[in-house]
Amino acid sequence: MMGYLRLELRRTLRAPGFLIFTIVMPLVMYLIFTNLGAVTGQGDAGDAALYAMISIGGFGAIGALLNYGSSIVADRSSGWLRHLRLTPLSPLRVVLGKALTGMLLALPPVVALCVAAATVNGVRLHPAQWFAIVPMLWLGSAPFVLLGLGIGYLCTAQTVQPANFLAYFGFSLLGGLWLPLPTFPDWLRVIGRLTPTHGYADLPLRVVDFNDSPTTVDVLVLGGWFAVFAVFAVYAYRRSAARRDA
Amino acid sequence: MTGGRASRRGGADLTDRHRPHPALALTGVAYRYGQLRAVDQLDLRVAPGEVLALLGPNGAGKSTTINLLLGLLPPQTGTVEVFGGRPALAVAAGRLGAMLQENQLLPRVRVAELLGFARGLYPDPMPLDEVLDLAHLTGVAGRMTEALSGGQQQRVRFALAVIGQPDLLVLDEPTAALDVAARRDLWAAMRRYVARGRTLVFSTHYLAEADENADRIVVLAGGRKIADGSPAEIKRRVPGRAITIRLPGAAVSPAALLALPGVVAVDLAGDRAQLSSTDSDATVLALARQGLVRGLEVVGANLEDAFLALTGNAKGSPPA
Repeated sequence: MMGYLRLELRRTLRAPGFLIFTIVMPLVMYLIFTNLGAVTGQGDAGDAALYAMISIGGFGAIGALLNYGSSIVADRSSGWLRHLRLTPLSPLRVVLGKALTGMLLALPPVVALCVAAATVNGVRLHPAQWFAIVPMLWLGSAPFVLLGLGIGYLCTAQTVQPANFLAYFGFSLLGGLWLPLPTFPDWLRVIGRLTPTHGYADLPLRVVDFNDSPTTVDVLVLGGWFAVFAVFAVYAYRRSAARRDA
Repeated sequence: MTGGRASRRGGADLTDRHRPHPALALTGVAYRYGQLRAVDQLDLRVAPGEVLALLGPNGAGKSTTINLLLGLLPPQTGTVEVFGGRPALAVAAGRLGAMLQENQLLPRVRVAELLGFARGLYPDPMPLDEVLDLAHLTGVAGRMTEALSGGQQQRVRFALAVIGQPDLLVLDEPTAALDVAARRDLWAAMRRYVARGRTLVFSTHYLAEADENADRIVVLAGGRKIADGSPAEIKRRVPGRAITIRLPGAAVSPAALLALPGVVAVDLAGDRAQLSSTDSDATVLALARQGLVRGLEVVGANLEDAFLALTGNAKGSPPA
């Protein structure tokens, strides 16, 4: 399975657009958003730099996972997964290999954003805070690798892009990764609080005292969505296997 | 060259020595898609070391048969055994390798990287240099798969199928969509692999390809085995040529035409008669002796028609 992981990492890093989509885009968004605040002189630029580091870092990690996970649609339609079925590499290890590769790919956007925050925007945190925030942003994104794989097993080459777009931008927007939840109308804030993206970003935001909602709610929301996405991924995989393309 | 590895397992393993299993055994296998019987009560045994061609027109059930024997489809009735066990066991042990028809190569990876990855999946893989040499890929090992020609891509897929040194190699229409030169290159590689004493099952709809490369040919039509024998035996039964003559008026009866040497089916359309023949030389000579050579055309038979002749569905009935 390590060989599969290596192969997948290599192929993904060669994909045109993957690095642009998952690192350059969040990085540019981050630098523009945070420095716009400084230009217009509104709000506390330091707060914005720290808040956006976490929310857009999470946005980047989720993008990497959805983008990579759903790329399995190409492996299905090309017959590559059928070929792997005729090798000693079991389908379970293929799925595990995909999930692990996705998790490795989710780390660079998180690190890139933290480095940009520290070097460009002058964000300064206690080492303990860095050591809490980075793993939370990285590992907390795990539910989304399941969502991405589910989309990749369920969709066709035609429907995968819109499905990904809806999941990515929908959850990011509703969960407060672009604009903080307090800027939402009340009814939307209730919905936003129940999204996986919100639970995911809230945990590291708590480390730097950006929110006061109880940790247990965030953990329950994130854990609940993990379970939901796991069920979704299993369902999608079984459907694909029944059509003999998984 | 690639000789010198005639048997990697040093002969048969213990279980094989006790009671040699056939490489492949299908017993009473059936598979239908809705109402369509893709494979119908198929019995097939392939001995270790045999090279078997599954010959048949499109829709004969060749691909379904191959999916069944690889374990990709579960038989609805009957059993499939590879070396005496389920196909999945042979796959997991690396004893069964295959090249399917519809697979494309993985993009964004170099040939050597892809083969290197594949090597890592098997307990006893071929050295990379050896498989590159076997499949004539040494010169393109550093190329991306997208940058290969159709023939090269097919040889990479072949290399992926043999890199684990499977005892049974299954190839579904390996030369379909290849030009003559690419087809020749691929067969050279396949023959070199089989020369090591491996079992090969391949499907084709070219009688000539089956004839040149197989020890034994099984003809499938409508999901059923309609002929099973050596290439020489099959060629005697499958008409390889279609001979057309002009027949003004009803000068000769279809029965008389059927009685000509080599003719297995007769089809009358307007003032022309088409004879399906297993021996076009003999048929044409006989026609000439009877003064029937008018507007003569001899072409390679359309295999669909040829198989219809063999199954007795053509307008003329085969001779007794």
